[in-house]
Amino acid sequence: MSYKTILSYKGPFYIELISVFGTNIRNLNDVYIDARKKLFKIFIELSQNVSNYSEDFHIVNNIQRIGVGELNVNETKDKYYFSTKNQVKKTDAEILAERCKLINSSEYNRLRELKREQRLNSPGEKFGARIGLIQAVMLSKNTLDFEVENINDTFSYFTLTVKIDKN
Amino acid sequence: MENIILTSSSTTPYFPEVNFDFTSGVCEIKGESYMEETYKFYLPLINWIKEFTTDVKSKLELNIKLIYLNTSSTKCLLDILELLKDYEDKGGNVKVNWFYDQSDPDMIDEVEDFEAESGIKIKLIKFE
Repeated sequence: MSYKTILSYKGPFYIELISVFGTNIRNLNDVYIDARKKLFKIFIELSQNVSNYSEDFHIVNNIQRIGVGELNVNETKDKYYFSTKNQVKKTDAEILAERCKLINSSEYNRLRELKREQRLNSPGEKFGARIGLIQAVMLSKNTLDFEVENINDTFSYFTLTVKIDKN
Repeated sequence: MENIILTSSSTTPYFPEVNFDFTSGVCEIKGESYMEETYKFYLPLINWIKEFTTDVKSKLELNIKLIYLNTSSTKCLLDILELLKDYEDKGGNVKVNWFYDQSDPDMIDEVEDFEAESGIKIKLIKFE
């Protein structure tokens, strides 16, 4: 299977960058328009997760927290692959891994229920809706691939990959 | 009470265009919504709806023309829809229209979820 790199980035996930990258992905070419619309939505959602939750972050103007991480968008003949990688607390990596397993084992309608429950029960404000991973699976209709890589006693890297079928 | 008018910009496409008009009671949110600190952006809109539904108390029509909104924005929009449902339950005249691109079937599911979660009727209208 031959992979072609569409985009690769490592650094702080500023909204301005995310927006430009996302818009370029959405408008890449005239084919697979529906798949690229889904890729755009998933790209924005998961990139903002890195920005909001990465344990490696910058503080801008003494207020705003901007997460640091990596992203990669690749394609094969029949799929787009979007990956994010960022630093998380070891304890959070375990929670995230369990959450991915639950989402991967749930049917579409169950995911829809989970999304509704989660959104209604989320505290809102700075915590958002906390349904980005569910949304990624509902949009792509593919399971999440994830990997936890040890850094030290406190932190791990969490890599998440979403596959989007072109047709 | 004052109107809220926020125009869109090509340099910040993650902010939607907003036009909340208290004289007509017509409110519109248009474009895309995936800014940082979503709640800070939506809080004045939520407060405007609260003020309108407690002080002005006339007919309110919300027209949503968002082609993309991230999940944080969906939470804020749900807060607005819940306020409108409360207003309707107390006898307020409310109409919610959601304009969608017919090539984006995922949006229809999203609107159905908003209806179920808020309890308010949302009319789906295809973009011209």
